[in-house]
Amino acid sequence: MRPLFLTTALLAFWPTTGISGEKKTVTVDADAFAETAAFLRSHCVKCHGAAKKSGGIRLDDLTTDVAKDMERWIAVRDQVRDGLMPPPKEPRPENIQSRKLVAWVSAQTGIKAAALPNQGNLIPHELLFGKPATIGEAPLGRLWRLSAESYLGFIRSMGKVPTDKIIQPFTMVPERGIKDFAGLYTIDEPSTEILIRNAELMVEAMAGHEIKEGIVKGKNGSVREFVVLMDPKLEPSRQQLKTAVRQMFKLAVGRPPADADVPRFLGLYDKCAKIGDRPGAVKTMLQAVLLRSDAMFRSELGQGKVDGGRRMLSGHELAIAVSLALGDRRETGLMNAAQKDALTSKDQVAEHVRRILDDPKNEKTRILKFFREYFEYGKAIDIFKEKPKTFVHAPQVLVSDTDRLILHILDADKDVLREMLTTERSFANYSLNKNKKGEGPKPAVTLNPINNKGQKAPEFVYGFEKWPDTQPATLPKNQRLGILMQPSWLIAHATNFDNDPVRRGRWIRERLLGGTVPDLPIGVVAQVPDDKHRTFRDRLQVTRDAKCWKCHRMMDDLGLPFEQFDHFGLFRNVEQVEDVDATAKNVDKKGKSLGPVMKPAPLDTTGTITDSGDTKLDGDVADPRTMVRRLGDSERVRQVFVRHAFRFFLGRNETLSDAKTLQDVDRAYVASGGSFKALVTALLTSDSFVYRSASSQTSSKGASR
Amino acid sequence: MSPETTRRQLLKGVALGAGGTLLQPILSQLEAHASGDARPSPRRVVFVVQSNGMNPEHITPTGIQPPTERGNRRPNNDTLFERPLRDVELPAPITALTPFKNRLTLIRGLSGRIALSDHSANHGALGCYPANRGPMGQTIDLALGDALPGMFRHVGLGIMNRADQTMNYSLSAAGPGRTAPIQCSPELAFRGLFGSVVGGNSRQAFDRRTNLLDFMADDVRRSRDALAGEERQRLDPYLEAFETLRDRQGEIGRLQGRMRQHAPDLSERFRRPTETNRLEAQFEIAAAALIVGLTNVVTLTSGGGGQHYISFPELGIPVDGHHYGHGGGVTNMTYEQCFVAVRQYHCRLIAELARKLQKVREGDGTMLDNTVIVYLSDSGDGHHPSLYEWPMVVLGSLGGRMRTAGRFLQFPRYGARGHRTTANLYLTMLHAAGRPRDRFGVPDPGLRDLDQNGTIQELLA
Repeated sequence: MRPLFLTTALLAFWPTTGISGEKKTVTVDADAFAETAAFLRSHCVKCHGAAKKSGGIRLDDLTTDVAKDMERWIAVRDQVRDGLMPPPKEPRPENIQSRKLVAWVSAQTGIKAAALPNQGNLIPHELLFGKPATIGEAPLGRLWRLSAESYLGFIRSMGKVPTDKIIQPFTMVPERGIKDFAGLYTIDEPSTEILIRNAELMVEAMAGHEIKEGIVKGKNGSVREFVVLMDPKLEPSRQQLKTAVRQMFKLAVGRPPADADVPRFLGLYDKCAKIGDRPGAVKTMLQAVLLRSDAMFRSELGQGKVDGGRRMLSGHELAIAVSLALGDRRETGLMNAAQKDALTSKDQVAEHVRRILDDPKNEKTRILKFFREYFEYGKAIDIFKEKPKTFVHAPQVLVSDTDRLILHILDADKDVLREMLTTERSFANYSLNKNKKGEGPKPAVTLNPINNKGQKAPEFVYGFEKWPDTQPATLPKNQRLGILMQPSWLIAHATNFDNDPVRRGRWIRERLLGGTVPDLPIGVVAQVPDDKHRTFRDRLQVTRDAKCWKCHRMMDDLGLPFEQFDHFGLFRNVEQVEDVDATAKNVDKKGKSLGPVMKPAPLDTTGTITDSGDTKLDGDVADPRTMVRRLGDSERVRQVFVRHAFRFFLGRNETLSDAKTLQDVDRAYVASGGSFKALVTALLTSDSFVYRSASSQTSSKGASR
Repeated sequence: MSPETTRRQLLKGVALGAGGTLLQPILSQLEAHASGDARPSPRRVVFVVQSNGMNPEHITPTGIQPPTERGNRRPNNDTLFERPLRDVELPAPITALTPFKNRLTLIRGLSGRIALSDHSANHGALGCYPANRGPMGQTIDLALGDALPGMFRHVGLGIMNRADQTMNYSLSAAGPGRTAPIQCSPELAFRGLFGSVVGGNSRQAFDRRTNLLDFMADDVRRSRDALAGEERQRLDPYLEAFETLRDRQGEIGRLQGRMRQHAPDLSERFRRPTETNRLEAQFEIAAAALIVGLTNVVTLTSGGGGQHYISFPELGIPVDGHHYGHGGGVTNMTYEQCFVAVRQYHCRLIAELARKLQKVREGDGTMLDNTVIVYLSDSGDGHHPSLYEWPMVVLGSLGGRMRTAGRFLQFPRYGARGHRTTANLYLTMLHAAGRPRDRFGVPDPGLRDLDQNGTIQELLA
C-alpha cells in the first residue's frame, strides 16, 4: 500500500475493512481522502514526521490501508475529535476540517474499530442525525451466543431441570454499560466443559424415570419420547430413536432437524450402544443435540426473502431474535407464527412486538435490564461502605426502589426519558407485599423498635422522616429529581468513601451527550488528595492541571453539581469537613486521639455544560436540578438515548449505515409522545434489525443448517 | 487458500502448541522420573478448607504466647511477632503435623473482614470479597490453576452433609459469576479422573464421552463450514474446545499405565459412604491425581459454604458442626473437645497426604518439596467469626519459593501499620507460583489507610 503522501489519484478503488472486518472493495471519495492527507500535512507532520517523531509517534508514513494502520489512524481521529491535538500553541484547524477528518477515518474503520461497549459514541453524532438519512447498507449476517440470562432461559424451557445444579457457563464482559454485544462472545474450553456437564444434568432430568417391577415409568416433567428408551432390556427401534432426536431438536433448537442430520445422531447412538448400556447411549445422543452450535448461538444470517441487495431474516431467525430481544427464551407465539410462515413482514413482526409489550404477564425483565445497563445504578451494591451510624444503608433496597420507579414510568409510557431524568417522585424503602391476604406494600427494611438506638430506616436517605404509605411519593421540594439523583445512582457513581464527580460527569458526557472521554492514560495514578479539611470540590482542583484538564474538562463540571448530595446520596446544604484545630485538641488524658471533629463548609453545587454539540444545552448551571431539567428537554440527549437503546436491542454499536434506522426510531418515539414501547417496536422492525446483506450467505450447500 | 483457512490453521497450531506445552511437562516429568533426570519439576498447591472456623488457639503452640487483647484474644502486636517452631511442641489439635514441623508455618493476624459473614465466607474465603454476593471474582485456587496449569487446571474434591449431595458450588470460582464445582461424590470424582483405567460402567462412561466429543467436533465443524467470513471464526473456539477435550481424553488414555499404578482402590469406601470414608477417599483421590500428574492444584473441602457442616459419627460426634459451634456437647465430649477431635482428624488426613507426596522422588528431592498445602476454614477464626484474623496453616515451600520452614508468625493487629490480609497471602502465593499480581479481591474499607496490595515479603524466599 502506498504511503500517504505519494498520490491520491489511484484511490478510486481500494480495499478497506467493512462493518465486520470482511475485506471488500468500496468506492472511496478521493477528494475527502485528499482533504485528510492535507490536514495531516498541515497540522501533524511537523512534529510527528521522520525527523522529530514527537512522543515516539510518526504519522508521515501512514498508509492508505486503514486496516493495517488501524491503531494509528484511530489515535489520530480520537486526538483530533477530542481537541487534544494539535496542541494549543499550534495553529488551530478549522472545526469543519477536524470534523471531516473524524468522519473520514470513522467511515474507513467502520464498526471493527469500535466493537466494544462504550465505544459506540466514536461515531460522531452529527453523522447519524445531521441530515435526513437514506437506506444504508444492510449489516452482515452474524451469530450471537446466548447471554448468561438466555442460557438459563434455554434450560428452563426444557422442562423440570433442577436449575440449582446448573452452573452458569457464560460470563459477560465486566465493562461499564451495555454488555451483550454479539461480536464479543464465543464459547471457550472451560465453558464447553460446563456445557457438557449441564447437558448431562438436563438429559438426566428430561429422561427421569423409575423402574418398578420391570416397567419403566416417567417422572413428573420428563419427556415421554425419551423415557421409553430408558428400559435397559429394550433394543430401541430406529423409529423410536428418530422420534427422540426430532423431539430434542424441537426443544433445543426450536425446529425439526434436517433430514441429513438424523442418521448422524443415530450413528452416535450406535457407536455408544456398542460399548454397552443402551440407555446411556441414548442419553449421549440427546446431549449432543443440546450442545449443538445452533442451540447455543442464535443465527441471524438473513435466510429469508431477498429484497434487492439484502435478505430478510427468516421467520425462524426473526422469531428467536425478537424473543430474545424482549425476553430470555423463545416465545411461543412467535415460534408458532414462524412455523406457520406468518412472520415474513415488518408489520407481522410489529404486531407480535406490541402483543408481547402489552401483555401484563410479561415481566419486563429484559426492558428493565436495558435501563439498568444504561443508568448503571445497580452498581450501588458493589460499592462497599462503612455502616453509617445514623441511618440504615441498604443498597439492595435503594436499587430495587429505582427499579420500581423505572417500571412505574414505563407503565405510564409517556415522555419516558424526560420523566426518568426529571420526575419529582420516588419509591423509598418499598416492598411489594406478596402475601395472599391482599395487604398493600410495606417497608422493605423495618427497624426493631426495641433495639433501635435512633437509627433511621432507608427512606431517610430520600429525605423522608416517615415511610410514605402511598408510593411513588412526591420528594421533598427542591432536593432531588429523576434517576440521577436517586441514592442508588449517586452511590453507584461514588467511591467507598467519597463522591465521584468525575465518573458522574463521564456518565453524562457519554450517555446523555453522546461524547467520548479517553481512558485514563497508562501509568497515571489518579488520586484526589485525602485532605479531609477541604471540600471535595476543592480537593478535585488537582485535575485543573493542564495535562489532566484536557480530558477532565469533559467530565468534572458535569459531575460537580451532584455535590448537592453526600456519598450515601443524602441531600445536604453544607459539606462537613474536618476541623483540624479542634481535632488536634480532641484527645483523652493520655493524649490519644478521640477522633476527628467536623465543621460545616459552604457548599457549591454549580457546574457547566460545555461542548455538548447543542448550543441550547451549553452554559452554566446552578444546581443538579437545573442541569437535569435542561438535559431532559434536549433533542440531542433524546437522540443519544435512542443510540443506546439501539446498542442494547441490536447487540452492537451503530454504524453510519444505521443512520436511517436511528432517525426513524427517534421519530417514532417523538410521534408517540415519548413511548418506550413505540421506540422498541420501531427498533425491532427497523431495517438494521430485520435485514442482512445478501453477500453474507452460507458458503457451502448441503451442510447442516 | 482463503484467509479464514489460514487463520483457522494458525489457531489450530496455537491450540495444539498450547496443548503440547500443557502436556509436555507431565510427559517429560515421567521420563525424568525414569531416567533420574533433574529438570525443574512442576509446582503444586493444595487447599484444605474445613467448615466451622479455626480457633486461633488451635494453631498456637503452648510454648509461644503471642500478644493478644484481653477478652476477645485478638492480636494486638504493632510489629510482626515471629517465633521458631523448632523448640516447641505443636498444640494438641494439630499435633499430627509434627513430622512436618520443619516445613510448617502457622500464621495468625491476617485479617479478612471484607468477607465477614455468619457461618461461612463462601467464595469470599478464597476470593477475598464479600461473602454473600456469589462468585464476584476468581478465587485463589483457580487463579493458581491458571498459574500452574496441568491437564486439569483445578480439581475440587470434598464432602457435604449427605452422600447424595454431589456438588458444592459455594467455595471456588473461575471468575465473576462463574462458580467452579467441588465434586462431593468420591465415586463420581474417581470416575471423572481415573475412569479410563477402571472397568465396568466407568469405562463405558469414559468411552461415551470420547464418542460425544468426537461427534461434537464434527458437528460444530459442519455448522462452521456452512458459514462465511467472520462468523465462521466465531465458531472456531467452540470447535477447538471439543477437539482439545477429545485430545485430552487421548492423553488421559496414554497415562493409563501410571494411572493404574497409582489409582487407589476405593471400592470398600464406595460401598459404605460414611463421612470419614468419603473424606478419606477424596484425600486419596487428590494424592493420586497429583502423583499421576493430572493436575497441579487441588481444593479439598470438608463441608463449607453456606450452612454445610459435617457430622462425624465415627469420631463419636453424631451431630453436625452447628451444634457444637453453638456450645453444645455430645456424650463424653464438650463442644471444645468436639472441635479438637475434628481438627485432629483433618490434620491426620493432611499429614497422610504429605507423606504420600514425600514418597515420590522428584528431581533431587520429593514431590512434597514442590508443593504447598494451605489449611484454613471458610469461616475464618470461628463458627461466628470476627475475621480480625484468619488462621492459616501452611505446609511446604512450593519448590523453595516460600519461606515456611518451622515458623510461627503473628502479623500486626488489624489497622496497625504492617497489618496484612488473606489477600496478601494469596498474592504471595501467586508471586511464588510465577504469576504475580498487584491486587486480589476487594479491599477492606475498614483498612482504608493501609496499603492492601502486594505480597508478604516475610513469606517469600
